[in-house]
Amino acid sequence: MVGCAIARELSFSQASVMLLEAAHDVCEGASKGNTGIATSGADCTAGTLECDLVTRSSPRWEQLCATLDTPFHRIGTLAVALTEEQEQRLPELLDEAHAAGARAEIVSGEAARGLEPLLSADARAALHFPDDGIVDSIRLTIGYAELACRNGVEVRRSSPVVGVRSEGGRILAVRTPDALITARCVVNAAGLGADTLSALAGGDEFATWPRKGQYWLLDREIGGRFAKVVGGVPTPHTRGIYAVPTTNRSLLLGPTAEDREDRADRGVDSPTLEHVFEAANALVPSLRREHAIKTFAANRPASDPVYRVGRDSTVENLVLAAGIRSTGVSSSPAMAELVRSLVAELVPKAGEDRPDAVRELEPLPRLLWNDSPEMLLDLDSRYGQVICACEQVTAAEIAAAYGAALPPRSLEGLRKRTRAMGGRCQGALCLSGCSFMHSLHTGDAPGRIPVSEPEATLGV
Amino acid sequence: MSETVAIVGAGITGLACAEALEDAVVVDRIPVTGGVNGWDDPDTRRLTGACRARFLLGTTATRWDGGSLWVIGPSGIERIAAAALVIAGGARPQGRAQLGIAGDRPAGVLPATAACHLAENGLPVGRRVIVYGGGDWAHRASVELLHAGAQVTVMAPYGLLREMPAGARVREGDRVTAVRGRLRVDHVELDDGRTGVECDGLVLAHGLAPNRNVDGAVLDGERVIYAQPLDDPASVAGAEAAGRHAAVQAMELIRQGGTR
Repeated sequence: MVGCAIARELSFSQASVMLLEAAHDVCEGASKGNTGIATSGADCTAGTLECDLVTRSSPRWEQLCATLDTPFHRIGTLAVALTEEQEQRLPELLDEAHAAGARAEIVSGEAARGLEPLLSADARAALHFPDDGIVDSIRLTIGYAELACRNGVEVRRSSPVVGVRSEGGRILAVRTPDALITARCVVNAAGLGADTLSALAGGDEFATWPRKGQYWLLDREIGGRFAKVVGGVPTPHTRGIYAVPTTNRSLLLGPTAEDREDRADRGVDSPTLEHVFEAANALVPSLRREHAIKTFAANRPASDPVYRVGRDSTVENLVLAAGIRSTGVSSSPAMAELVRSLVAELVPKAGEDRPDAVRELEPLPRLLWNDSPEMLLDLDSRYGQVICACEQVTAAEIAAAYGAALPPRSLEGLRKRTRAMGGRCQGALCLSGCSFMHSLHTGDAPGRIPVSEPEATLGV
Repeated sequence: MSETVAIVGAGITGLACAEALEDAVVVDRIPVTGGVNGWDDPDTRRLTGACRARFLLGTTATRWDGGSLWVIGPSGIERIAAAALVIAGGARPQGRAQLGIAGDRPAGVLPATAACHLAENGLPVGRRVIVYGGGDWAHRASVELLHAGAQVTVMAPYGLLREMPAGARVREGDRVTAVRGRLRVDHVELDDGRTGVECDGLVLAHGLAPNRNVDGAVLDGERVIYAQPLDDPASVAGAEAAGRHAAVQAMELIRQGGTR
């Protein structure tokens, strides 16, 4: 998310830019495993960089998402008090939200149920943050990267930085497994790997560790019935469990916040998932486990301090965008501009706009929820071929994904770009068809089709 | 006023429903009738031949608004006026979330539907595969995987519902609670909390969930009838009975209320 947002922002400039991604695709870490809430800043601490970037980004979502073919809905959040103790905390939280610069109001239990009829009868009162929004964070990340690509940013995937060549406190080049890349400036937006990269570069010492979040995903028949993001009352320790309708109408329950050590571990465990479900169920009693279509986990990058953004104190041409914990979506637009200005201090061309830059992705027509699907077949007869029935993804949309500047390299990449295989049957009905489409478009032999990383093949 | 009944699914259930009706349209995603029973099966042929229905095959139904069914296919888009909608989309094995299987998300874990299709085409999901389930889908997946050269262990949490092919090892009574592995599945954990069973493929073939993909008719819907028997093993007689029963319900609905 952060790296792709920065790449897009820099792609509007005269600088020559390369984006290196360790995983086989962009949007593989926290970017594809978050609630998709674009917060208006109510839970940020006033005066912090995080708060500043989030509140500066918040008013811009409609305009930005329109240029990235990314769904966004400003539906607002209710932080619901179920106990007297929680209710008593609301005035304090209201003051904090106002101090942070977010709009907020305390509403009665009855008024909260008016705003979200699915809310529990036990709701005593709630804080309402009307300017919070939900965004498709996967489409956003890939949109950022796709636009950067169209503007000539070279995106190298499966390219972890394994070494850094420096001289006199300056980075000369970074090494990936198959290349040595010279650079006048290096931006460290490596998320969970930011501390490792900093150590390789001889830069500031800090620690990044995984804060695991576990989630349930419920059928899009369920999320579509929600009017608001619903959460509990945050404590000083955690923001708690939310029920979040997504832009594709599924419902996310989560996340947990578990500090871990193993960065590669994205496993879920049943006791924790039960806790998540119970917490969400207390807010919304009509939730049912049988509506679950997926459970998953992702690691967001925790660090101390958070939001380590700026020039490295020892390495002259290293810029940090690290420790962007859970607000990476919410701060990404303003974050990217800030990082561009830091890069421009080192590479003046990064401050100069390119007049011919593409600033908008043309929206791809989709079959799902299209009220006049008749026009689609005139555009491309492949819209008549529905490959994924649950999410109504057609062969035309799949072809468009593979025809993009940054096409999928795996079935997971296809899911992220189109939602094929991501619906209520989780690929039971369309995985074979999607595999066929993958081979058709990439030339990968059936035995070599990657589910995710190249070694993780569909069959053997 | 339309008295047409729209039927989604041209398997035995959908065909039996259509056969019992004067005015039906049968829609199916695949370009042949029969569903999991197969297009060249004698029962499929008998029922297909006996229907007076209009068939829209290779066509996907996408939306129901209580009075018309939207369908899309290579030949175009149609909004079919109908007095009732019968969902006869059959069933698939349950997914990981429904089965409560926690753990990692490596490659090598596939729904039986996909595992069968890939194995039929010579691509087994693994060399040492656990087929999780004890009914029809477990049987079919075992046959296909054995044929594709894989070692197969059928793990039937509630025992075998039908005989498994010779050559498959069978373990009854073990419930899989978690999948472990980073890139590819390495082993599964069982509900005793201790045992790990090594494998490089896990096929989900346990339990059944009805296939429902028509927006407006997924959990419920106006003038919608569900005809999706979840018997395991499935029988042609059971599917036919479910289809005929749905036809009676549809006719009753039309008698009672006409259309919108």
